[in-house]
Amino acid sequence: MTVIPTNQALIAQFREAPAPLLAVLHAFHDRDGFISEAALRDIAVGLRIPLAELFGTLTFYHHFAREAPGKNAPRVCTGPVCRLKGGLEILDALSSEDATPMPCAGRCDDCVPVLKGDEVLTGQQADTLAVHATPLPPPNPGTHEECIFAEIREPERNTLAGYQRTGGYQGLTQAVTTSPTEVINTLKESQLAGRGGAGFPTGAKWEAVLNAPGEPKTVVCNADEGEPGCFKDRTILDYAPHAVLEGMTLAAYATGATRGFIYLRYEYPQTLKTLERAIAEAKAAGLLGENILGERFDFHIYIRRGAGAYVCGEEGSLLNSLEGKHPFPRNRPPYPVTHGFENLPTVVNNVETLAAAAEILRHGAAWYQNLSYDKNLTGTKIISLSGDIQRAGNYEVPFGLPLQTLLYDWAGGPASGRSIQAITSAGLSGGFIAGEDLGITIDEPSFQKVGAMLGAAGIMVFDDTRDMLNVAHNAMEFFAEESCGKCFPCRIGTQRLTEMLDRNAKGHRARRALIQEIGEVMKATSACGLGTAAPNITESLMRYFPDMLP
Amino acid sequence: MVHKLTIDGKEVAFSEGETLLEVAQRHHKEIPTLCYDTRLEPFGGCRLCIVELEGARNPVASCTTQAAPGMVVRTATEEIEAYRKTLIEMVISENREVDVHPLRGYASGELAKLRDRYAVTPKRELARDRPSRSELGKITGATSGTSKSDDNPFILRDYELCISCYRCVRVCAEQEGDHAITVMNRGFHTQIATEFDGLLKDSACTFCGQCIQTCPTGALADKKAMRAVPVGAVSNRAPLEKTRTICPYCGVGCSVDILTQDEKIVGVHPAMDGPANQGALCVKGQFAYDFVQHPDRLKTPLVREEDGELHEATWEDALDRAAEGFRKTHAAHGRHSIYGIASGRAPSEAAYLMQKFIRAGFGTNYIDNCSRA
Repeated sequence: MTVIPTNQALIAQFREAPAPLLAVLHAFHDRDGFISEAALRDIAVGLRIPLAELFGTLTFYHHFAREAPGKNAPRVCTGPVCRLKGGLEILDALSSEDATPMPCAGRCDDCVPVLKGDEVLTGQQADTLAVHATPLPPPNPGTHEECIFAEIREPERNTLAGYQRTGGYQGLTQAVTTSPTEVINTLKESQLAGRGGAGFPTGAKWEAVLNAPGEPKTVVCNADEGEPGCFKDRTILDYAPHAVLEGMTLAAYATGATRGFIYLRYEYPQTLKTLERAIAEAKAAGLLGENILGERFDFHIYIRRGAGAYVCGEEGSLLNSLEGKHPFPRNRPPYPVTHGFENLPTVVNNVETLAAAAEILRHGAAWYQNLSYDKNLTGTKIISLSGDIQRAGNYEVPFGLPLQTLLYDWAGGPASGRSIQAITSAGLSGGFIAGEDLGITIDEPSFQKVGAMLGAAGIMVFDDTRDMLNVAHNAMEFFAEESCGKCFPCRIGTQRLTEMLDRNAKGHRARRALIQEIGEVMKATSACGLGTAAPNITESLMRYFPDMLP
Repeated sequence: MVHKLTIDGKEVAFSEGETLLEVAQRHHKEIPTLCYDTRLEPFGGCRLCIVELEGARNPVASCTTQAAPGMVVRTATEEIEAYRKTLIEMVISENREVDVHPLRGYASGELAKLRDRYAVTPKRELARDRPSRSELGKITGATSGTSKSDDNPFILRDYELCISCYRCVRVCAEQEGDHAITVMNRGFHTQIATEFDGLLKDSACTFCGQCIQTCPTGALADKKAMRAVPVGAVSNRAPLEKTRTICPYCGVGCSVDILTQDEKIVGVHPAMDGPANQGALCVKGQFAYDFVQHPDRLKTPLVREEDGELHEATWEDALDRAAEGFRKTHAAHGRHSIYGIASGRAPSEAAYLMQKFIRAGFGTNYIDNCSRA
């Protein structure tokens, strides 16, 4: 007989743990399927959070239900790609099961994901939904050496044995025989920069944390992959979880951090299990926990799941969310390197960055530098490619590769008889690229030259049959839904632009100049990247499709 | 060492820890704000206080930016002023009305003032034909959403005028420590709510009225003051007068501005510059002023005469009678027959006199204070 834990037991499980709130909320959500009023009252007392504040924080997250059927009711992805692949029809077909829509759930290489409790089913029709393993990256299509993906297709690489068989933890084993400064110098030399999209030099970030006063220090792995059209972190975590753990442990060694968090998006329940297993394996092997590798160096990793909030991928929001606060972005400066988790020095790195760091410490900085296509650039970037393209998937691209090579030679181009009308960049945040500008190379400067961003490098392809105004409207609606509500330009701007892009709404008849004006204010004055990026949608729509707006 | 930065072409000194907004305000720069309240932690929400900072890619919010040596700041370039104007237009596009009853609250005219200063007219397309939050059905909550549904006697909650600056939530948490209200939902759906979106009386609210007084649009408003001066009657009656005084309730000595019209008290504003309270009040100082002009209020001492009835008396007579009573009791029953309880409303000096009176006057230690209760 299963004993159902009491409220007090669930709270006690995490009360003394770091960052307890999300863990406790999920414990109740998992037990009951929703978080009741009585539960919230107990949590408020148990964790000493004012009840009103706790209630407000709870309502911030898309996935936390407050009543039945709650957690087990299906959530159907209606992201930009899934809309092309039957998402709306599945949502309709599952209406009798209380299905609700969810924004892009990071499964654009295997549409359409339907989240049911702790399972993700995929399929393009309601009656063919089934559990499928995360797709592996397509076989290396070029003649270029990969970094993170080099061995990812090897069987069982997501186990400790499989990872070690392919050279895993060699980087860490070598690193702990050198000084933290040497680890940082190797990273600096490699010129690895943040792969979550912001592109801050990783070595410099670790160095800043090493030199910042205050203990304990923290390493946070940002696995809140919420950008529509981005699904690379899921693939890395599912097939190379130890690479990410190794990267985090390297960061801990280099900075002196003793605690780490993986902030994992809610929509990846299978990844949670993989990670939990990987952490247990690493601990048992002395690669994590106390006295790592026999050296006097301790590091603990805790997984904390998000609950459906795009803005929590923004590092300030993420840190507030971890701390159990309302997940508004933080004012910057100060930055997390000095004032991060609990106002102490903190590394916040993306999954891909950490996995790359592990490979760099194993193979050396020079090796990484030389992976690029354009020898003025260094390294690789994983592109999540999806939409109207024959071979959707994650591609590890050497920096400087022509975009056309990826789209046509590697991924097979659009369906036969179709042509590419436009692609998105940085998921949705970089806006559209179309026409002659599709002739650029894959690197941040080239994308920015055409007014876009490479960012986290989700690219969604739209062929010549698609209604780009509709795509733009859905994109802006996403930003409006996900705007946190803290800063005025984003909160109001995303809403007004959504109305102006809606053919059927009464607010549609807007002057282009007004759309431009709102976009400019959002770009110049918004408090975080969500508000500054959202107008890339309208700007690029007007640039490439000037006839679409009145 | 004196720190210096340049603001609008002029080199000025600043102290460590000052924000750009504070430096600018000291130099009489009129930087617009909506989410700012000097008493609260800077929030950085409304973005109206943006200034141009040399070397920064985008304008920075001056309220959250710490002044640093050598900074070169411009507070009102053409571009900055244009952004501010658009932002105000955007804010106005979501509100039902901007010109509100002047007695809604201390700060309730802030948005209207900014609209006038930036000459924002409703002719602009942004402010016209756009659904407001309530039209979009985003003002939820059958229990707390509209003006009529929270039937407490003090605080009107009219969220169709809310601009989500969260000054109310922050003043409740940071100043009052009550944490009675919170931000519910996200983005355009955000709404101020109590726990479980219920009534104020069922929450941790103490009805101190701080939220009313910091609200820049009148979304939270003083129901009592609005009842005293009905809508429409504002202009055709005598002008409102403000009288600075001290709240009579307790020993703290909060400064208040009593609002009167035709010699009648219609409301109370906390004095933002009151040395003891800096704008804070409790429910009594804020709302419980009816006794002042109540017909039952005692205006002279009353003394019970031999006919058993209370009669008006002079202070001299009344004090003589009281002293006589004490003396008789003391003589007949001894020093421990007298027990003094000082009022919690009395300041320390009065409390001291009280214990002196009991101890030295009657020779007993039977002295206490009602604050113990």
